[in-house]
Amino acid sequence: MFAAPQRRRLAALAAAALLGLGLTVVEASPAAAAGVGYVRLAHLSPDTPAVDVYLSSVSGAIPQQKFDAVGYGTVSKYLPLPPGTYAVAMRKKGDPASATPVLSTQATVEEGKAYTVAGTGKFADLGLRVIADDLGLPESGKAKVRVIQASVKEPVLDVAVAGGSKIADGVQFATTTSYQTVDPGRWTLRLTQPGATGSPTTVTAPLKAGAVYSLIILDGQAGLTAQLRTDAESGGVPQGGVDTGGGGTAGGRGMSPLLPIGGGVALVVLAVAGGLLRRRSRVRATAA
Amino acid sequence: MRTTGKVVRHRALPARPNLTATRRRTLTLIGCVLALAAPVIVGSAVLVGRRVEVDAGESTWIVPHRIDLTGATADPDTPPSRLRIAQLGVDTPLESLVMDGSGVLQSPKVYGEAGWFATGTLPGDPGPAVLAGHVDSKTGPAVFYRLHELKPGDTVDVRRGDGWLTSRVTASEHYSKAQFPTAKVYGPTPVPELRLITCGGTFDQSRHSYRDNLVVYAVLT
Repeated sequence: MFAAPQRRRLAALAAAALLGLGLTVVEASPAAAAGVGYVRLAHLSPDTPAVDVYLSSVSGAIPQQKFDAVGYGTVSKYLPLPPGTYAVAMRKKGDPASATPVLSTQATVEEGKAYTVAGTGKFADLGLRVIADDLGLPESGKAKVRVIQASVKEPVLDVAVAGGSKIADGVQFATTTSYQTVDPGRWTLRLTQPGATGSPTTVTAPLKAGAVYSLIILDGQAGLTAQLRTDAESGGVPQGGVDTGGGGTAGGRGMSPLLPIGGGVALVVLAVAGGLLRRRSRVRATAA
Repeated sequence: MRTTGKVVRHRALPARPNLTATRRRTLTLIGCVLALAAPVIVGSAVLVGRRVEVDAGESTWIVPHRIDLTGATADPDTPPSRLRIAQLGVDTPLESLVMDGSGVLQSPKVYGEAGWFATGTLPGDPGPAVLAGHVDSKTGPAVFYRLHELKPGDTVDVRRGDGWLTSRVTASEHYSKAQFPTAKVYGPTPVPELRLITCGGTFDQSRHSYRDNLVVYAVLT
């Protein structure tokens, strides 16, 4: 097993390869952010040995990052990155950075969007995929969760909320369900192998309102194991902006609050002037 | 299903011959402990199996048929106490801010102090921690008068507990309050972030408030 600190470090740094997520590559809806997008890496290919993962900016916006010995089941935290194009390369553990990668891909990061770069499938047909994640604000008072199926031992699963609604049938290895809006609190999921006679696996996880989760189903030493990943969190969501000014400098020098005023006034003047001009020319045209 | 080696070892213990007094005492002690613990060990093996720490707050339980996950372990609720923006000469205690009955975030009571949205995300925790401060008082500049000067790459420090948490500015944006992008500013984020909010735009004398908000986005370094 992995030592906890090692796992934590790996997770904190980032990982590699994961699943197909083919089922639902939803258009990423913007996360709450400006100036950055987010990328995380995952290794969910059960029979693929640990790899070193390299992330580098095509434009050189950030120094190259290396994540050592990323193994099956490792899912990194999101890295906030300047928007741009990034190269992700997986090399055999211990290979020099100059070695030919086992796999490599490019991902374009847009501002406010989030992506999971995942090694997909089994080792024999391993691929890297870029999955758009949806970290958008859940409905008020709700949580969002999806299931990522990365177990080979039970490669097809029916997923349902225990005693409640069905989420998806026949979720195949290397795919994911779409995000579901659920009530916060303790949430129990029932995983069944279609046609299997054994008892289903249940997964219980605590979900907080305003948060977005991925529940990752992996092969355990016996049966399944699972990880709950918090994709994104928010606290309370106030309505609108904040009133933060007494107006004491509103009539003063051309400092910060005034610049927009100046701009606004200029725009109004321009608009009015433009309108007048156009009107005048139209009048003239009609007259002619 | 699965049996654990622990139980087997426990049965084998008393059969060991030729023990010194010390070893016998030790083994007896171990035996007693194991005997007492046996139901617990067996019980937990049957019920939940072995537990593996994966990541702070994201534990994994390995089990054949029942998986119990714990959520993020809440940090000790140490509120932020100060905000420091060296570049602007800002060094202020932080008031607790709440929402009013209609859900609008209240501004700090003191013009010279910033505040943090106390029922929202704690600075340093994943999510958007909201810090608000006045741009001016009725008579002159207030704590966030120069907030508009912050540029991407500048840093902002928040004191929480014994340490300072440094965040790097990623963007500075200006919104009309009438079209404030609530989900963008307050919506969930994957990493610990800050939203520094003050006013801007024209001052509406009839409402005694500015028409716009300036929002500075920062990400924990």
